[in-house]
Amino acid sequence: MSAAILAAGNAQALLLIAGPAAGGGLYFGLWSFYRNASKSHSFETETRVEAQPVTGTENKVDEVRGTTSSGISGNNVSNHRQRVQRVS
Amino acid sequence: MSTLPPPGEGFGAPAAVAPSTPPPPPPGAPPTLQPPQNSVIDTRNQRLDDGVNRCPKCGATEIQLRPSVGMLVCLFCRHEWAEARLDASVATSDIAGLTGTIVGSGAGDIAADAGSVVTLKCGGCSAEVVVNTAEAMGARCHWCRHVLTVNEQVPNGAVPDAVLPFTITHQVAVTKIAEFAAKRRLFAERGFVREFKPENVVGVYMPYMIVDANASADIAGHGEVQTRRYTRGTGDNKTTVYDADVYAVQRHIDFTADDLTLEASAERSQINASINTNNVINTILPFDTENAVKWNASYLTGFTSERRDKGVAHTTPELESQLLSIARAQVAASVSAYDRGVRWEQERLQVHGTRWLAMYLPVWLYSYHFKKEGKSMVHYIAVNGRTGEVMGSVPTSTGRLVGAAVTVGTVVEGIMIAILGAMK
Repeated sequence: MSAAILAAGNAQALLLIAGPAAGGGLYFGLWSFYRNASKSHSFETETRVEAQPVTGTENKVDEVRGTTSSGISGNNVSNHRQRVQRVS
Repeated sequence: MSTLPPPGEGFGAPAAVAPSTPPPPPPGAPPTLQPPQNSVIDTRNQRLDDGVNRCPKCGATEIQLRPSVGMLVCLFCRHEWAEARLDASVATSDIAGLTGTIVGSGAGDIAADAGSVVTLKCGGCSAEVVVNTAEAMGARCHWCRHVLTVNEQVPNGAVPDAVLPFTITHQVAVTKIAEFAAKRRLFAERGFVREFKPENVVGVYMPYMIVDANASADIAGHGEVQTRRYTRGTGDNKTTVYDADVYAVQRHIDFTADDLTLEASAERSQINASINTNNVINTILPFDTENAVKWNASYLTGFTSERRDKGVAHTTPELESQLLSIARAQVAASVSAYDRGVRWEQERLQVHGTRWLAMYLPVWLYSYHFKKEGKSMVHYIAVNGRTGEVMGSVPTSTGRLVGAAVTVGTVVEGIMIAILGAMK
């Protein structure tokens, strides 16, 4: 019974923050449209690149059981510009 | 942590065992030519000197670019011509065979003691005319009215290896900038709207380093593959949980990049959206740099230019970062099976060879200096002088933005309260 009340309370809270969230989203969306502060040259895709076939290895090293996270922590597979430890 | 093997050790299929010593060359074979190491490509335009440069047909010096056709035109006899394309005289292919560092003679280091001022001797009357190359690459002789231009490469970065002429006209640029700003009028800062005059757009030749690179990259990290997805708990306490296998992942790629374009102005290369809008100029890249022509200062007549103040050494960190980013983008498809993602942890770059050319690239630039309550920022709207791509930054009216946000937020909140009331 108490869990049901808590869930109902969460739903009400979510509905109540929808207004401020919509206002904040509109502000940020309009500001981004005007300022274009995050835009830059997509050199990864707009440069002529000729590459040999990718080679590599993969070895199973561990197992994760019962995590509530839907993805690997620190996933940067799409963030090509995030530099990681540079080795020589 | 997954660690990278030493350089040269491949991944994947086992490599064939290499002999401990290379086989001797066959009898009578010519000696192997060593690849160029740290060599210089001579890109000087031998046909032109500093000073008077005349129309090849009538000998007049009133020469300027006609952007609609991308050709030089003599304003006296209307003869049109173009300088030779740079790649017609400088080999820019075979990037996979690049070794060492090859630098165009116009892309050399900036000499610390090199000043901006060049003194030209007028070929018409022998007067001496001073040109400040930080602001212009030519001047008119104040005695005989000949136009004098700077064409010999000087170690102050003012004369690059090549120039890519404007083909987008002033009128087209004005139209594009007006269209861009018109879409951003309602919430723009009122001073910007009042003072907006797109016809004030200026044609600027910006300095860039154009780099071909032959490189290899190794990347290592961990990837996860989901093996099970299920729920725990009952009723409203259900939680989704996951099982996954963890893999140590390594990738290797050999690749070439053709005409990477790097800012060669220290000021323009400072891209920080909180204090400047230089990212706008960066966004309108790329240019069709393969169509660049040999230097002729007459291409700059009627335009402004910004002098290069960065050399190869200053630009190399940005080049390496871009090459690593390209490598990461290239290997992304090979790890798509890791449906929970990949966390790259280490990367190594081996640059086998690079070729550097300094180039002036054409940008139409509209600028607005925004100052309010102690804050100051120059907002640019830039048009690529070849492709017409537009990008810009328009200062916003905080009051209008807040008003719109509060209005929409209030309406949404009202709807939500009505929904909650109906649920009770």
